[in-house]
Amino acid sequence: MTGTAFPPATSAPSSAAAVAELSAGARLRRRMFGQKSFVFGVGLLLVIVAVALLAPVLAPHDPYAQNLSQRMVPPFWYAKGGWEHLLGTDNLGRDYLSRLLYGARISLLIGLSVMVISGLIGTTLGLLAGYFGGKADLIVTFLITTRLAMPVILVALAVVAMVGGSLPVVILVLGLLKWDRFAVVMRSATQQARALDYVTAAEAAGASTPRIILGEILPNVFPQLIVVATLEAASAILLEAALSFLGLGVQPPLPSWGLMISEAKTYMFFSFWLIAIPGTLLALLVLSINLAGDGLRDVVAPEGRG
Amino acid sequence: MTIGTGKMRIGLLAAALLAGTGLLAQPALAGKSDNSVHLAYDQAPENVDPFFNNVRIGVIIGQHVWDTLIYRDPDTGEYKGQLAKSWRQVDDRTLEFDLREGVKFHNGEEFDADDVVYTLNFVSKPDSGVTTQQNVAWIEKAEKLDKYKVRVTTKQVFPAAIEYLSGPVVMHPNEYYAKVGPQGQNQKPVGTGPFRVAAHEMGKSITLEKNPDYFKDSPKKQGPIETVEIRFIPDRQTQMAEVLSEGVDLIMHVPKDQADQIGMVPHLKVVSGETMRIVFMQMNTLDNTPAPALKDERVRRAIIHAIDRETMVKEIVGAGSRVIHTICFPEQFGCTDEGAPRYEYDPAKARQLLKEARFPNGIELNIVAYRERNQTEAMIGYLQAAGIKANLNFLQYAAMREQIRGNKAMLTHQTWGSFSVNDVSASTPVYFKFESDDITRDPEVRDLLQKGDTSVDPEARKEAYGKALALIAERAYAVPLYSLPVYYVAAKDLEFKAYADEMPRFWEMTWN
Repeated sequence: MTGTAFPPATSAPSSAAAVAELSAGARLRRRMFGQKSFVFGVGLLLVIVAVALLAPVLAPHDPYAQNLSQRMVPPFWYAKGGWEHLLGTDNLGRDYLSRLLYGARISLLIGLSVMVISGLIGTTLGLLAGYFGGKADLIVTFLITTRLAMPVILVALAVVAMVGGSLPVVILVLGLLKWDRFAVVMRSATQQARALDYVTAAEAAGASTPRIILGEILPNVFPQLIVVATLEAASAILLEAALSFLGLGVQPPLPSWGLMISEAKTYMFFSFWLIAIPGTLLALLVLSINLAGDGLRDVVAPEGRG
Repeated sequence: MTIGTGKMRIGLLAAALLAGTGLLAQPALAGKSDNSVHLAYDQAPENVDPFFNNVRIGVIIGQHVWDTLIYRDPDTGEYKGQLAKSWRQVDDRTLEFDLREGVKFHNGEEFDADDVVYTLNFVSKPDSGVTTQQNVAWIEKAEKLDKYKVRVTTKQVFPAAIEYLSGPVVMHPNEYYAKVGPQGQNQKPVGTGPFRVAAHEMGKSITLEKNPDYFKDSPKKQGPIETVEIRFIPDRQTQMAEVLSEGVDLIMHVPKDQADQIGMVPHLKVVSGETMRIVFMQMNTLDNTPAPALKDERVRRAIIHAIDRETMVKEIVGAGSRVIHTICFPEQFGCTDEGAPRYEYDPAKARQLLKEARFPNGIELNIVAYRERNQTEAMIGYLQAAGIKANLNFLQYAAMREQIRGNKAMLTHQTWGSFSVNDVSASTPVYFKFESDDITRDPEVRDLLQKGDTSVDPEARKEAYGKALALIAERAYAVPLYSLPVYYVAAKDLEFKAYADEMPRFWEMTWN
């Protein structure tokens, strides 16, 4: 049955040799573009980021300008829609496309800032616990379990209800709540890395502790960090949408996708596009971040591919 | 024969299945089959005792479970005897009532002078803690003359007394009330009304059933409706879904947009009309206001100039609404906008005024609201366009009232239905006569209102109220917005009328 349909076994070494001949950059490119999901995720994410950055240029109208006589205009593909408002208008006559473009800024801003805040807290704690072990590890583990005992959405709801919802409050609350996964992953990754020879070598060479942590360990646990960071950014965006949907997140008239979904729910029985458009965008954004994160992990550390 | 029955059986089964999945064009209506009406309402009253809540649903329940001494015919405005057969004005401050005999409370207690005397004396005592002070503060005392005769004295001359006695001032059973108090009346309410409370799950639902012993001469004639279930559903979408799926037969205060759309659903209909409810925005100018900027009259004027009330009425409030220029309902006795300045929509002027008040970069305020959120958001949009950033704080009414009474509110999106009392004493003074909801407190305004409340001569009353209203407008203490229409969405076969007092009258309703 060794028919010609199968490639001859002998060709394998030759192709491996071909890979070896490639430069490091070319190998990276091949790994990147070899993954369809990564290309798709990053591409989509880049488009959304570009759109958010260019919102003032791209938006056909002021996202806050309401015109009550032009309310609930449907998107252009409906008979009653028009080119003036491509995606129609909302219940106060504000241009839906413009609000979506500006809304992308809010979602990305929240995703990114929450990721940075919680990443800083979580990574620091994780590195300290993993590197020093002992009492430091005990304290950090205690903090992590305490944090894990509190449901994020509930605590966020309570805090926002007490302090009052606004963009900075939402970012801060989510940032201070979502560091746990960073800490857990960084802690175990650091523990592994700490036992490796190059750390011992650095210690033997007399490198200072900060240098070892920042120069030797951190770069080597970076792939895991990236995955967690993307997961957290995506989940922060979703959480903001949930909070805004419940009326406790970003406050009107600021355009946020979550808030737009919340405002549109009043009209979902008859004007479903009001809820479908921001809903789809939100799903695409979260999907693209997750795909990009997965892909990046594979590119940076292909040996960790599961 | 047998084949025929078999076919019929299959047909019935198919019909039942279709009805079950809602595919049949005319499914059996929930309420129609057993003469019941199911209403969904968004706010739950904190206490159904009419003296201990000030929300519309409380008024609705109050008028069904309890009766008043006098009844005002909503069509003609004529006063008719209800628990009182007749009455007369003895002098400026004294009224005498002959009570109806043979009326029984739902618990069997007989209605007589003792109940009237007890109720009026209890509610008018300030330490009884009645929520609706303005409805009872005018009563000095009630005395029993004989078993069916009562004399009521007012603190001052109070021409609107009859109006109050035909609206919010209901009669409680003295023995039961003395025993259980307002809390007990909330748990197990007892009145004389055409409906009695069959079940009350607090904050969830209240079920009323026809009172079989109701007195036949009452102007509230009992109709065919046997039971009324009122469910408290805070979320509008759930209410919509319920009425679309025939879980409830009636919802009210539906926003114009949704009413317009839902009117196209074959098994539903929309009934609408103007109401006495006015919408306005209060601005906190008290000494320790959380928004000191509001103490500047120019800022307050800017806020009024910023809002395009005409367009709001036309586009989002809906038919049956009109723009108001003073804080009262135009048809109430004593309400006028003569002599009051009008503030046209002019965002440029608003900006200019802010600049003059030394806020060239605009100001930031909080606005607290509890209903018609789309209207609040439209106002926020207008304010933003004039350089005033308003942050929304959307709450249940009781929480909003707490903010106002606790001096924590800056701007409010208020609505007031005057307890359907057709006299200015029931509207403007509530917000400007130093009562708990007054967050401007101008003594001049208070004195004029007091004069209007207590003068005998109708012309003198009108003049005093007119001056007070003009002063409020001149000093820009509040933003007068518009009167509200009410949109009901109901099952197509439910017959009822939309009254200006926002009171669905279940005793009058019928199923076609």
